[in-house]
Amino acid sequence: MTDNNEKVLIKGNYAIAQAAVNAGCQCYFGYPITPQTEIGEYLSGKMQELGRAYVCAESELGAINMVMGAAATGVKAMTSSSSCAISLMQEALSYASSDELPVVVVNVMRTGPGLGYIYPAQGDYNQAVYGGGNGDYNLIVLAPSTVQECVDLTYRAFYLAQKYRNPVMLLADGLLGQMMEPASFGEYPYPEVDVSSWALTGAKDREARKIYSVATDEKKQIQHICDLHRKFEIIAENETTYEEYETDDADIVLVAFGSMTRNIKAAMKVLRNKGIKAGCFRPVTLNPFPHKQIHNLAKQGKDFVVVEMNMGQMFKDVKYAVEGLSKVSLVNRACGEWLSVEEIVSSVENVLKGGRQLTASL
Amino acid sequence: METNFIFAGFGGQGILLAGTILANAFMIEGKNVTWYPCYGAEMRGGTVNCEIVVSDSEVSSVHKQDTDYAIVLNQQSFDRFVQRVKAGGTIVANSTLVEETRPRNDIKYVFVPMTKLANDLGTSKVTNVVSLGALASVCPIVKKEFLAKGVEKVLGAKKKDLIPLNMKALEASSEGAVV
Repeated sequence: MTDNNEKVLIKGNYAIAQAAVNAGCQCYFGYPITPQTEIGEYLSGKMQELGRAYVCAESELGAINMVMGAAATGVKAMTSSSSCAISLMQEALSYASSDELPVVVVNVMRTGPGLGYIYPAQGDYNQAVYGGGNGDYNLIVLAPSTVQECVDLTYRAFYLAQKYRNPVMLLADGLLGQMMEPASFGEYPYPEVDVSSWALTGAKDREARKIYSVATDEKKQIQHICDLHRKFEIIAENETTYEEYETDDADIVLVAFGSMTRNIKAAMKVLRNKGIKAGCFRPVTLNPFPHKQIHNLAKQGKDFVVVEMNMGQMFKDVKYAVEGLSKVSLVNRACGEWLSVEEIVSSVENVLKGGRQLTASL
Repeated sequence: METNFIFAGFGGQGILLAGTILANAFMIEGKNVTWYPCYGAEMRGGTVNCEIVVSDSEVSSVHKQDTDYAIVLNQQSFDRFVQRVKAGGTIVANSTLVEETRPRNDIKYVFVPMTKLANDLGTSKVTNVVSLGALASVCPIVKKEFLAKGVEKVLGAKKKDLIPLNMKALEASSEGAVV
């Protein structure tokens, strides 16, 4: 393993783990589950080597609460898991959001609902973006599409978590976790964030601090919730990121997130060779979502086809952004085999012929 | 231009490693490449496969429905993947364990007694690297010089003593063994 600029052929899971090490993650707590077990496996050795903390927790519930405890002291801390086990952490994520703790959670998605099997899928979009815990809160959600981005967005996750004192979820999928691709690590590119004004580091020679998620005064409770939302507006203002490919002259824009982006980019080229003016749009931050940018494309009269490995979750966000200005169609599969370039191309052609909204079933 | 390869065989034949060496070889050559393993509840003695996609530009889909090259090390894998080779594509089969049949007439067949050649070198463990040599002799974009670098990179410092044997394995199928 390397931490310089040399390219290495590496699995997405290992890339996330090594990037966490480079980002200065001091504590990892986790519990094994396919398809992300390599993250814990790698860190179990590496963290010990570096004199940092690694605990194979007794459960996912234990793991996320340990992460909260560590994050409250101002150190960088992380857990990783997959879909059905990420569900077990939702209560804590609601608390961490209210407590404004900079926790980093990696979700390498598999199939749901319930236990689901280990097929890759993108079915946790709603849970990540809209929250599976109680109350009005927002996670920052980052979706990598390549192994290189597993590195880059893990770096960014640690930075944003501390910069805004907000939980961050890296939303990858089983395909990305298991595949290998050349990537380089470089150095952690962000400045260290000063946490001294809030971190619980022991009250010797200063006034005691408390971090808690309840205000027994109604006005204070309202104020707290509004503050959290004002903070997220600032995050949306500053941190919304997306990628666009050949949208300028496009009549139809394919939208995907995560590793499906690779397939829509290839489909776009095939469609262009057939004389169809297609473009691609890909949110990098799923929350905050690039509503404005999609809305602007809709205003120019462009139609959209959302391509995803779930039953149409991001589809609703795109429709919401479009506000009825143009047509939004869905091309999807529930889980398993990623929609192939050929399937995407023929589905888009079908949509253009006036075909109805498509759901690719088996 | 994208080309893809599927390696398949028994668990224990070094299928994933062969794919890793090929992917490293392409990376060292400066190409874009992905490696994706078969993904499911696999067990020892069962079948295993991995897919490598190489491209001059960005790799699109990492797991495709059909393949340009299938490198199969046992009969089950031959039977399964011969159907997934594109028309005009090539199947490279380990004829020590695979019967020399030609169920389709729109693809090329390359039969190499890989396990026998490996045993001739002293161990069947290098069957996977023999298969890489066989692939290089029929696939112009797979170059032996980079495969050799890939072997060195993957075996690294920890298994340096195994490099000479693997270099021989890489050459084993060049000596007139390709049918």
